[in-house]
Amino acid sequence: MATGIRNPVTADLPLAAFPYLAVRGVGFAYRRDAPVLRDLSFDLERGRLVNILGPNGSGKSTLLRILVGLLAPASGEVRLGGALLADYPRAALARRVGYVPQETAQATGFTVLETVLLGRSPHTGALGFEVPGDWYAARHALHLTETEQFAERSLDELSGGERQRVVIARALAQEPELILLDEPTAFLDIKHQHAIYGLLRRLVREGAKTVLCVSHDLDLAAAYADDLVLLDHGRVAAAGKPEDVLRAEILSPVYETPIEVRKDKATGRPLVLPRPQA
Amino acid sequence: MNPRPLTLRTYLQSIAAWTGLWAGVCFVAILFGGERLWALPSGEQVRGILAIRLYAVLTASVVGAALALAGLAFQALLRNPLADPFVLGVSGGAALGVILSSLLVTVVGAPLFGFLGALVTIGIIYAVAQRRGRIEPYTLLLTGIVVNAFCAAAIMLINSLVDPKQRGDVAYWMMGSINTFDPHWSLVGMVGGLTIATGAGFAFLAKGFNLVAVGEDTAGALGVRVERLRLVTFVAASLVTGASVALAGPIGFVGLICPHILRMAMGPDHRRLVPASFFFGATFLVLADLATRLLEGVGGQTPPVGVLTAMAGVPFFIYLLRVRWRRASEIR
Repeated sequence: MATGIRNPVTADLPLAAFPYLAVRGVGFAYRRDAPVLRDLSFDLERGRLVNILGPNGSGKSTLLRILVGLLAPASGEVRLGGALLADYPRAALARRVGYVPQETAQATGFTVLETVLLGRSPHTGALGFEVPGDWYAARHALHLTETEQFAERSLDELSGGERQRVVIARALAQEPELILLDEPTAFLDIKHQHAIYGLLRRLVREGAKTVLCVSHDLDLAAAYADDLVLLDHGRVAAAGKPEDVLRAEILSPVYETPIEVRKDKATGRPLVLPRPQA
Repeated sequence: MNPRPLTLRTYLQSIAAWTGLWAGVCFVAILFGGERLWALPSGEQVRGILAIRLYAVLTASVVGAALALAGLAFQALLRNPLADPFVLGVSGGAALGVILSSLLVTVVGAPLFGFLGALVTIGIIYAVAQRRGRIEPYTLLLTGIVVNAFCAAAIMLINSLVDPKQRGDVAYWMMGSINTFDPHWSLVGMVGGLTIATGAGFAFLAKGFNLVAVGEDTAGALGVRVERLRLVTFVAASLVTGASVALAGPIGFVGLICPHILRMAMGPDHRRLVPASFFFGATFLVLADLATRLLEGVGGQTPPVGVLTAMAGVPFFIYLLRVRWRRASEIR
């Protein structure tokens, strides 16, 4: 099969079989006897906000690390824009895919603006000097994430929610088409959770971005995502619209907990109610 | 706090300014280091002393720049602000290599053996201190201590076995000193070339250093091949450490003091810190060497320059441990 960026259209697959991001039969294991992903396949269309759900250890973070090129799949293939992910030069991939890792304590001494400017690295030259366009992109990213007021502050001084927005701003300054986020709301309160998801929504609607987000919060995902992908033991258990995925008969076996799903009267969205036996 | 944006123009200006500072300090060190030139009876003697001082100043510059660059690189890639070629035991490994080479080959083999000793040592330290790709800050420093102890013991073993006439003053050499009695101009030129090449190379890796400091996943996602960057950097830093040890013995703490003073003054940006460490390291060790020659007037003997850097470096290390360690251990 012909592969590579030069000739993305291969003979054995018709054009319609090339979604923006195609994950096909991907398998991965950190240790040989414990596969994390097995034969995992799903598609992602451009301009959508997709949320990956699943219990702990179902392979969500590993999947993101493969999609951003930090890990290579042991089997199967990932195609972005029709070309194999492995065929992208490292910096070229970094210009197309942005990544917001799970929050780690950062004490680098960089200011917020400097941190966001680091997102321009895939665009700068060998010595890493920024040009006015880079400063504009960074300022714009600060504006989008409403973190302009912190620009000259040290990252260490910010709260968790503020810091998370700065990390998202860094990914935005990268000007990627596809943004991957690993539990961006994990340590945030309700207000900030909704602020982050509202921002992701805006990025898809107004910024023409495609967003793939990993999270544990089923209700937040139902409220903001276009599509959900539910992982279970490294496979796709269900994928599609929130109302098709968030169903009691699908969720209960995956989470190994009796789960009731009701309809929220105000919004018509599914409401997930765990009912563990006492 | 926030200096002018980096452009090629401001970058070259700052390099020119650093060069000026370094050259000025060298000039002063040559003119005023120790004996008064104008009190000497003959021009012959003046020329002789000038040549010795020029050699000392150039050696100190090369060694200082090399150690500051190596310290900066180890701190960036190991993500530990206390990493320094001496503290980590890399200088000790290099010293063992240099001592081994003195048994076997001529002086030109010394930088090669120093490099190999340094490279093996950083390989061992990295293998021991990392767990699943993460480097434990405490384990790193403890590993450095025991590697240093091993190298010191091995050096003393070798030294006690050889003919007493060949021994030389190993204790003096192990403190780190710039020996002007037995100048090796070609060695200075070679190590100087290596150090300049490494400084220039690090200038192109500086953007990667910045990203690794933020986080390895972030660096990878922003286009850095972290494993390759680490390998290239460790090899280059070992190279200049080994070469500098071959030239002047294991001078301690220069790689700790210089990058940190610069960080306090100009922030954490490695694009600025790489050229700054190169020139400030050189200037710092020229000044320290000048101080040893001024101390000669006190007791009649020149103390090894490593004595002064260690006496300045240890309080500095303790300060970093107490004040900055909390932040350091947060960097994961």
